Parts: sequence; structure tokens; C-alpha cells
Amino acid sequence: MEHAYLGVDVGSISTKGVIIDRENNLLASQYIWTQGNPIGAVKELLGLLEGQFDKTKYKIVATGATGSARKLVGTILGATMVKNEITAHAVGTTTFYPDVRTILEIGGQDSKIILVENAVAVDYAMNTLCAAGTGAFLSSQAKRLGIEVEEIGDYALRSTHPTQIAARCTVFAESDLVHKIQMGHPREDIIAGVCNAVAANYLSNVGKGKKILSPVVFQGGVSKNKGVVAAFERALGCKVIVDPNGHLMGALGVAILAKKGSKRQEFDFSVENMDFRTREASCGQCSNHCEIICVYRGDELIDAWGNRCERGERVH
Amino acid sequence: MKHSAVTVGLPRAMLYYRYRILWSVFFQELGIRTVISGPTDREILEQGSVLAIDEACLSLKIYLGHVRALVDKCDYILIPRVASLGRHRDMCTRFQALPDLVDNLFRNSGQRFLSYNVDLSAKRDEETAFLELGRALSAAPKEARRAYRTAKKAELAHHKARVQKQEQLCHQEGLKILIAAHSYLVEDPYVGRTVTDYLRSAGVIPLRADLVDRDAALKRGMELSPTCKWELSREILGGILQRRRDVDGIILLSAFPCGPDAMVNELITRRVKGVPMLNLVLDSQTGTAGVETRLESFIDIIRLKEGKL
Repeated sequence: MEHAYLGVDVGSISTKGVIIDRENNLLASQYIWTQGNPIGAVKELLGLLEGQFDKTKYKIVATGATGSARKLVGTILGATMVKNEITAHAVGTTTFYPDVRTILEIGGQDSKIILVENAVAVDYAMNTLCAAGTGAFLSSQAKRLGIEVEEIGDYALRSTHPTQIAARCTVFAESDLVHKIQMGHPREDIIAGVCNAVAANYLSNVGKGKKILSPVVFQGGVSKNKGVVAAFERALGCKVIVDPNGHLMGALGVAILAKKGSKRQEFDFSVENMDFRTREASCGQCSNHCEIICVYRGDELIDAWGNRCERGERVH
Repeated sequence: MKHSAVTVGLPRAMLYYRYRILWSVFFQELGIRTVISGPTDREILEQGSVLAIDEACLSLKIYLGHVRALVDKCDYILIPRVASLGRHRDMCTRFQALPDLVDNLFRNSGQRFLSYNVDLSAKRDEETAFLELGRALSAAPKEARRAYRTAKKAELAHHKARVQKQEQLCHQEGLKILIAAHSYLVEDPYVGRTVTDYLRSAGVIPLRADLVDRDAALKRGMELSPTCKWELSREILGGILQRRRDVDGIILLSAFPCGPDAMVNELITRRVKGVPMLNLVLDSQTGTAGVETRLESFIDIIRLKEGKL
């Protein structure tokens, strides 16, 4: 049996999974919506990956989890590596693009920039706790304009006169957008304006003061939006590379990290049929009232977190 | 020494973290008992948030919660006014306004407050202020002066010892990250302490930009900005210059929406180059996931750079 490695990236909007071999070749990959249900999404994801995967030839010996639900998903999968998505993206991208200098990343609720020298991340920045100009903003604006989020790019590229949208803050951008709609600006111009606003917002907030050098790789769900890619290319004056697997880069990165890690634990697809549930318990041991998340497999408590001190460990 | 029956309450917030030795020794020398509010917890923050206007910073909300916790627990609560320590040495307007703000918010509580006023722009130095504070507590001027000088000596010695501890940490092996933050944020057990605790649990040595020789830091701070007028910010600016060669990264930790930090942290990110920097703004969110993601990745990036992940 050859060794394989599973990487799962569960974000606020989408859930991504890959299985790779020793040489980082993709054996299986999948991208689905999280839909506010990370456990359900992971189970569905595993079912889809299992269908693409040759179990007679390979066995999964290490599993990595990343994304904002990494802790929960790591527990469910029995992951050997749980890493934040920034590190996972940096590792994934530099593996496939060793000469990359700048990684732009815009996800559902986070956006970040990673600066790379000699295949090593040397500096990075992330949006502050405000989610301005991320995928969540794009999908809510798509909904407002009555189109699918996947169609935004095509609409934007048809525009010849993108509408100016105030980019500094999502709340202002949204009210400006509503105003422009009512003024009668054509829909594709407004959509192109929104894409420009996302790029401008990113460069002035997250990319502020950072020297963006080429080659530039753009990833995260928003990189699938051709309108934003074009806006970045215009603003930066250089080509912006979007890998066909850019949306999987976090999952790939954490699979590579799991491969490089020392822990080994054979992965069993039967977890997709197990019953997992979570419960929130409020710790009453002191006035902090920590919100503790308890994760159960069947009736068995397998993990819990969220307590600020050891007193919370008794509350399950 | 005669003991009076008077008790003075000290809210464990804001300038408490800077002046706790000065205050406690001063009152102790005068035979006055002090009560300190408990460590910040969710209830204190919630109580304070109810009392504060929306625009108040997180630290002020916490402060008001501590004042609230001391009401009826002591004869007086100490609410100092520290406005200016000299030219280009102003304190944030919060510290100028605190006594009036608290008086007004708690005017129907029946609680009595005690204050002192340090304002070098009006030629009122700290010693004069403490003599007046002594007078308000019916201490003889000579006694009050002696108590102040003893307390000041203790405060300086305490700070010096903390600075020396930092110097030792600087020479320890391991990943070191400098936290540039106000003491009342980074030392607060409910907010800032979660950051230092996390760093330690990840095997990182946290250092503090504000725990440096203050006079030297004030002077060096001018190198980064000759016009920055905030005392505490200037100390931090100087502290960054003093320590940047000893650390692997800098975290700019700020309480939302801190006015001075909004300006000064921007200045730092523009003028301090060549060292990884993380800008972290803390609000009253109870979830720590966002903060942990940022800290974890910041540490990873530094370790990746050194090839040690």
C-alpha cells in the first residue's frame, strides 16, 4: 500500500478537501459549501473524496485540518495536524510556486497577504477583526443584485465604465451601492465597481505599506472571481496568477504539513457514518460564564474547549 | 503610626497598572487601608459597558466596571486626574476626564470619590498633587510628603526591577515577541493576558515595550516621532527602538477604539521596518478564536522564516 495524506480546510463559507500522495500529486479533491454546518459539510466532503479515491492502492496515514473550524473538524477526523489557514496557505503555495513573492488571499470572512522570499514567508498581514471586503461581502451584494456569486466575474468583465463605489468600509460601500443602483447605473458597471472596491479595499487595508512584488499568486474563494482578478491586475500593474487549484491551497498546505509532521494515524472513512454533535455549556464556576463547546461522538464526549481556566474542565 | 478607619478603593484598571505601587505604599504609609477591585471578568466588563457611552474604549468600559464593583465597599474610591507630565507629555483625554466622568456617572450612588490632579501644563506636579490628596485625608503635610517620597521611591525601584527582569528575558534562548501595548491592556487578566498566556503556551517569550527605562524611552521615542505628544505612546515608541534588535517580532496590541493607538500604531507600521509585525485590536468579543488564529499564524510565520516549524 502506498501512503496518502488527507487535508481538510473548513472555512466559514466553503469546505475543501484533498488527498495527496508522497509527491504532492492530487488523488482526490472536492470543494463544497459549508452552509453553516461544518460537521455535516465534512461528512459530505469525505463521502465525495472516498468516491474518487483508490482504497486498494493507497492508505491515508496522516490527516490535517485547517480553516476557521479546524479545531472542531480536527477532533472529528482525529487529525494528526491542526494548523491555522495562513500557515497552510503559505506552505501550500510555496510548494507549488517556489518563486512566489506575494500571496494575496481573500476568503469568506478573512483576507490576508503573505510576503515570501526564497520560498519562505517573511511577513504577512491579516484583516483586523472586521470582515470588510471579503467573500461574505461579495455574496451578499450578489444576492442584492439578484445574481449568483459565481456569475459576478462575467458580469464585471462586460463592463466598460465601472461605477465608483466607496471602498473604505463595507457598510459605506453597501449604502453607496444601493444609492448607485437607484441612480440607474447599469448592473454590470455596478458589479465591476464592487470588484474594484474589493481589490482597492484589500490593498488599502490588508496590503497597506506592504511591498507587493511579482510573481503574485491570488487565492481563496474570491480568486475564482475574474472581476476581482482583473481589478488586482489593473491596480498592481502586473500579472496575477490564479492556480486552478487555488481554492484548494489551504487543504493542500495542511495535507503537506500533515505529511511533514511526525504523527501517524491511519484515517478511516467510517467517520462519515458516525453521529457527531456539539453542545454549548455555560460554565457557572465564576462570573466569566465561559461558553464551552462539547463535542460528542454518539454519547461519548470526545473533546471540549472554550474555557478560560481549568475550572471549566469540570463542566461538560 | 496611627490607623484611621478610612478605606480607599482602587479600581484595578487603567492607571492602576502604572501607579499601583505608588498608591498602595502612599496609603499604607498614612495608615489608610486600601481595597482593590477583583480581577476583570465578564461581569465587570458588562457592567462597565452599560455605564459607558458607545464610543468609549474597551479599557474605559473595564475601568467603569471596576469602579462600579467598588461602590459601597469603601469610604472613598480613588479616581486620579493625570493630564500632563510636561511639554509633549500629555496623557490621553480619558485620564484628564476620569474624575468628572465618574462623579457624574455615579452621582446618585452616595459613593464618595477621592482625586488628585497632576497637570504640569498648569504647573501642578505629582508631589503637590499628593500633598493635596493627603490633606483631603486629614494627614499632616509633613506626613503626606514623607509618605509620597517613600511611595515614589518604592515605585521607581519596582519599575527598575521589572525592567531588569525584561533585560534577562532578552538574553534568554528562544523565540521572543515584543508586545507594544498600554500596561492596562496587556496586564488585564480578561483581555490582554489571554495574549501573553497564549504566547507562553506556544513556547514564545513575551517582552514588553513599556517595561523599559522611562526617561531613556521618552527621549528615544522622539526618533520615531518628534511631535508625538502622548506620554505613554512615546514610552512605547522608545521601547520598540530599544528592543527591536532583541526580538523576532512585534505585536501592536490595542483596545478598540483607542485614539492614540489608532494614530501611533499606524506610525509604527510605517516607520519600523525589517521586523514582522502583527496589529491586533481587541474588542469585547468573548470568542478568542480570531485572536488565536492571528497569534498562531504570526508565530508560525516567524518560525517558518527560521526554518523551525
